[in-house]
Amino acid sequence: MKRMMNMNRFINIRRIWAVASKEWLEIVRDRLFFALSFIVPVVLMLLFGFGLSFDVENLPFAIIDRDNSALSRDYAFQYINSRYFDFKGYAFDQRDLDPLLTDNKLRMFIVIPEHFQKQLLNGRPVTVQTHIDGTYPFRANTAKGYVSAINHSFSMSLMTGHFSKRYGLRPDNVQTILQPVKLGVRYLYNQSLNSIWSVAPKLIMAILLISPPFLTALGVVREKESGSIYNIYASTVSRLEFLIGKLSPYVLISSINAVLLFVFARFLYGAPFKGDLLFFALATVLYVICTTGIGLVVSVFAKTQVAAMIVSAIVTVVPAALYSGVIIPIPSLSEYAQVAAHLLPAMYYTQIVLGSFLKGVGLAALWPDVLILGIYAVILFLAGYLLFTKRPRA
Amino acid sequence: MNHSIPSVDHRVSVWCRKLYVLTIKEFLQLFRDIILMVFIVYAFTLDIYLAGSGVSLQLNQASTVVIDNDHSAASRELIHRFRPPYFHLDKEIASGRKGIAQLDKGDEMMVLDIPPRFQEKLLNGEQTTVQMQVDTTNTVLGLLATSYGENIVGRFGLEAGLSRAGLSSDVLNTAPNIVDAHRIWFNPNQQDSWFMSVTEMLTIISLFAILLPAAAMAREKEKGTVEQLLVSPLTPFQIMFPKVLAMTLVILAGTAVSLFGVLELIFHVPVQGSLALFFAVTTLYIFTSAGIGLFIATIARNLAQVGMLTILVFAPMIFLSGAWTPPEAMPVWMRFLMGLSPLHYFTDACLGILLKGAGMSIIWDSVAGIMVVGGAAFCLGLWRFTRQFD
Repeated sequence: MKRMMNMNRFINIRRIWAVASKEWLEIVRDRLFFALSFIVPVVLMLLFGFGLSFDVENLPFAIIDRDNSALSRDYAFQYINSRYFDFKGYAFDQRDLDPLLTDNKLRMFIVIPEHFQKQLLNGRPVTVQTHIDGTYPFRANTAKGYVSAINHSFSMSLMTGHFSKRYGLRPDNVQTILQPVKLGVRYLYNQSLNSIWSVAPKLIMAILLISPPFLTALGVVREKESGSIYNIYASTVSRLEFLIGKLSPYVLISSINAVLLFVFARFLYGAPFKGDLLFFALATVLYVICTTGIGLVVSVFAKTQVAAMIVSAIVTVVPAALYSGVIIPIPSLSEYAQVAAHLLPAMYYTQIVLGSFLKGVGLAALWPDVLILGIYAVILFLAGYLLFTKRPRA
Repeated sequence: MNHSIPSVDHRVSVWCRKLYVLTIKEFLQLFRDIILMVFIVYAFTLDIYLAGSGVSLQLNQASTVVIDNDHSAASRELIHRFRPPYFHLDKEIASGRKGIAQLDKGDEMMVLDIPPRFQEKLLNGEQTTVQMQVDTTNTVLGLLATSYGENIVGRFGLEAGLSRAGLSSDVLNTAPNIVDAHRIWFNPNQQDSWFMSVTEMLTIISLFAILLPAAAMAREKEKGTVEQLLVSPLTPFQIMFPKVLAMTLVILAGTAVSLFGVLELIFHVPVQGSLALFFAVTTLYIFTSAGIGLFIATIARNLAQVGMLTILVFAPMIFLSGAWTPPEAMPVWMRFLMGLSPLHYFTDACLGILLKGAGMSIIWDSVAGIMVVGGAAFCLGLWRFTRQFD
């Protein structure tokens, strides 16, 4: 009996339960907060899912046609008919277009030079100037790619005609001279190049990185700021019991959110899920424990709720967007950012999410990521445990 | 003894003193929260530096593995054209299955597969196909890799085909084709750091502009110190305005630090437009965004609610700012929502002033947008705030 008591000194389930249910009641009774803790992730998922698109389409553009010939109109139609570009009209003077580019009314304009048709029919190359708004570098890049693809195919058809006339060859023979090597491209994991399929699973990762630390940090610092933490300092509840009890409601809420987000990704956005559901569920809970742990560590340092909010926003939102592989794959990051990426749990969970959704791989391929998440959770809780003290300095 | 009614001068000076004293109070409260101050400094310096330096949305050394089934001079020639800055040849492997496994793990981004008898077919004038497998879990980069790959292979094929036909590549100069000439405006070398650091700065400004006043107000409520303010001879405006003023000054100082210290000094962002205009627009924006914060503070009863409501407002604002997804790529109903995000106008105006050198004649519509949307939020916030005192 006595030995039992000794064992219970460290971890007493009933005391943990007491702390957890107190916390749970506090959360539920703050009806607005309770509602928001579910509404916020769902709203984020809807907004980002429906609107976050990296497809560069409908670029507003204009054409200055200084040649105004049959061939130049034919060339212009290659752009006008493309779904990547949104034709805003012909212009005569470049000075009219410059301010429109500055004003975001146009993203691009093309200048077809004089004698365009004459030069080409005489078998001479013609330079076509494209002016692209470079404020958003990746979109400028993509637009450049479209332009050179259109120019390439237009040149090829011109040259095929030209060479077959000049050397008396059949057009398909000319083609093997001009294009003896073809490129067969296979898009893996996302064959339709449907952006939302690749974005939706990653949103689960990003939202579960942002929302749990926020909830947790607020919950713990609230007790500090309102002074109710002195009840804990004076109670028989041990540090470990307090932390476990305090955090478990937040892990629970975030896990429910994870289910909601999964349902959205799977059924609203129709992202395919090829992996093992049980494995994914367990890995997700592990990840949620990690991100809750981030909130715990933040809350140990912050004295006011304002500080807790700012710190968790900055510590999680920026990395969630930039370093977790949502926008750019990790190998493309700079060295600094790579270090930052490897320090965060998000990157490992991204592998798990993508593996489970799009690639259909399981524990066999992903065990290192799961292991790292596990280590991460232990370190965070250890740090929280060691830094949290019931004897604060005044 | 003088019992006469205080002069107008006297009333104005008392009014100003009240404002002054309360503004000082707000400053003190802010500066004494050490962790908060540390993070404000961090946000305006290191955070913007990290965002600007760490990220490249361009295809940068995409790791590529090669399956060379031909091992000929021609295949080696082609493979070696996949080189930095766009591609990085990682290694050569024997089988396609192994390549897929590497893609599965996320180690590699691309597999280039050269068929057997590649050189032989080239010399015989037969068409041959090189396979490229691209990991498109990241759509943007997947498309860029494809587009660059097509360029490389097309160029290689053209040269090989011409030389087989006994023609030098000089014939291209006497053949009708279109030569690409690009002029990339406003950012000729397409430095991602310019765009990234400016947008990050605008994001940070927005975060603080909403959160700081909201939190300051809610804290007074939660701690009960608002009761003291209520019984003091202060109008609601006098209670609210110093908060907004103090926060605005702190955020403006932070903005100046990051503009001169990080953007100009480290990333060499060429500030094209008028700095006075930039700071004027920023001040206007911070002021009007504070209205959103005050509105939040009137709904929330405690700071935790403020936090959640702020995220609920702030995240859509960033998202609808047009920095990540431009209006033309949005569904139509989203475009209407964008009109409601003051950050959208602010982003347009600031990118315009800083990178494009736009003046008031071009950004006037964005400034008007900030005034209308932000002004409406500010009035709503002030109205709800005043009502609380009745």
